[in-house]
Amino acid sequence: MPSSLSVDLHKVSKSVNLAIPVLFVLFLGAGIYLSFYFHFLTVTFLFLTLLNIFYQHVQTDHTILRNFGLLGQARYILESIGPEMRQYLFANDLEERPFSREERSEVYRKAKNVDSASSFGSQREFDTSEMKVRHSMFPTPADALQPYSVTYGEERGLDSAYTIKHPIMISAMSYGALGSNAVRSLARGAKHAEIPMNTGEGGYPKYHLMEGCDLIFQLGTAKFGVRTADGHLDEAKLAEIAAQPAVKMVEIKFSQGAKPGKGGLLPKEKITDEIAELRGVSKDQDVVSPPSHIECDTVENTVKFIAKVQTVSALPTGFKLCVGNIMEFEALVVEMKRQEVFPDFITVDGAEGGTGAAPKAFLDGVGMPLAPGLHAVNAMLKKHGVRDRMKLNASGKLVSPGRQIMAMALGADAIYSARGFMLSLGCIQALQCGNNTCPIGITTHDPELQKGLVIESRAPRIANYVHNAEHDLEELLRATGCRSFSELTEANLYIPPNTLIRDPQLDAVLHAQAS
Amino acid sequence: MKASKLIWIAQLIVVVILGQTLFFKFTDSPETVELFSRLGMGAFGYKLIGSLELVACLLLLIPGVIPWGALLGWGLMTGAVIAHVTEIGFEGPMGQLGTMAIVAWLLCALIMYVRRSEMPLLRCINRNEKNELNS
Repeated sequence: MPSSLSVDLHKVSKSVNLAIPVLFVLFLGAGIYLSFYFHFLTVTFLFLTLLNIFYQHVQTDHTILRNFGLLGQARYILESIGPEMRQYLFANDLEERPFSREERSEVYRKAKNVDSASSFGSQREFDTSEMKVRHSMFPTPADALQPYSVTYGEERGLDSAYTIKHPIMISAMSYGALGSNAVRSLARGAKHAEIPMNTGEGGYPKYHLMEGCDLIFQLGTAKFGVRTADGHLDEAKLAEIAAQPAVKMVEIKFSQGAKPGKGGLLPKEKITDEIAELRGVSKDQDVVSPPSHIECDTVENTVKFIAKVQTVSALPTGFKLCVGNIMEFEALVVEMKRQEVFPDFITVDGAEGGTGAAPKAFLDGVGMPLAPGLHAVNAMLKKHGVRDRMKLNASGKLVSPGRQIMAMALGADAIYSARGFMLSLGCIQALQCGNNTCPIGITTHDPELQKGLVIESRAPRIANYVHNAEHDLEELLRATGCRSFSELTEANLYIPPNTLIRDPQLDAVLHAQAS
Repeated sequence: MKASKLIWIAQLIVVVILGQTLFFKFTDSPETVELFSRLGMGAFGYKLIGSLELVACLLLLIPGVIPWGALLGWGLMTGAVIAHVTEIGFEGPMGQLGTMAIVAWLLCALIMYVRRSEMPLLRCINRNEKNELNS
């Protein structure tokens, strides 16, 4: 309803657009008749007049500029600083995505070794749509806690069986997605914290190896670093990488939560000469990995491929996937039993997983979230009696101990986090990872931006985060009354009745005849 | 850099045109004093203009800020052209100076146009050529 003081932007800009050439003429006259110094303003308004003519009558790309002239630029200016304005001024503590200010703040404080206790009360909904941990009336005493220890490959009796002593590991982030300073900071931090780091699918882990931490080599669908010319596995190259003493395990990536059913994506803005060489790709197109391993076209061939990688690498070998179709996963389990080939671990990535770049439809709408996916994998393995033949890792927005312990109660033996560690490095959730413009220098190869990320000062943050998160995890474990994380089950969780982990496909399969 | 070598030649020409007056301006030469007094501007005036011309010359040579130098140069030359047209005319030595001012003015406009993708206000004029083909 128009009131006497309302602003009609169209009228305002029409007045301004009229005023500009009028002022040009006025100052021209003033310069001629009053003082030559007025011509500074004459020139300015002449330029603005010409600019406005271009905006309103010549260019056709920007309608706002055609209709509003010079003032229309305000929209584009404000739009471009919109994300920053929202993050700094307008969003509340729970609003930002993917991680709210509250969630990020917890990680930042753990990384800086600042107490992250909160006050007054939780900001959550408590409307029975959220999962909670059931605590016990009889918490476990500290000395009754069993120290955490998970050994991959023990089921097969491998000499190269690998033991981790902390429940959190750095999940896959390739060199390419991250810049070299970020990779090295994470690797150095992993060494301090004594946790392994997943190399991501970027090929030969040149920068990861520089810092001496334990590595999990990821074999993505493009098989960077271990591929033949036509995309098959180059066994010699794999054996060579696996022989590196720092490489402790191999993870075959079938899919990831951020873009399940699609291969990895590295935008061309981020392909430096070095990356083009390390991966064997050209610089002028996005690097798109194939959606699946070329050898893995059937369930039978998939299991055979797992066996081959296990043999060639002679290391604990598992695979990573985001759960899609439960029946397919069951067929995989059945085939594994038939061939007597079991991965040493399965990493379940929830659809809420992160990435440097992914098509929006895949990022938002494809794949099962972590809770139902992990629950389904765990249930399926148990149904076929093979759960004890391998370990389960979980990943997907597991940055805070609250969520981490829920994943463990749902069946995970260990936790992978990627963005938790990026936040520890100082990530501010600018959401620019794919543009090569990361303001913190983490997901960019621009040397000017990477200069801000100093490895020596960032690496300790990683160790702090792991140490403080593990401390919280232990306290949570004690609160449940269990003595070790392996004792946790779904009974330790309050799971709201009609949400979160019930999957109709899984229910149908579980109630069918066991094979 | 999308601009070719030709644009650097244009930039250098403008730098020479603007730059060669600087000596006269900063040494209070009689020609400068006389010229500017016809415009009603004293020492402050031509030293100010001279400083701005110096800044324009520098900007025109530093990659990344070249279009800003062209904008500043264009502005100064517009003032010069206005001065010639309205006060000092084109006879005698003014003819030579006036011609150089017009040349620099045109070249600065050209530099701004060619390098428009490097300037925030002008980036939207990018696809004019294609649009003219369609219309």
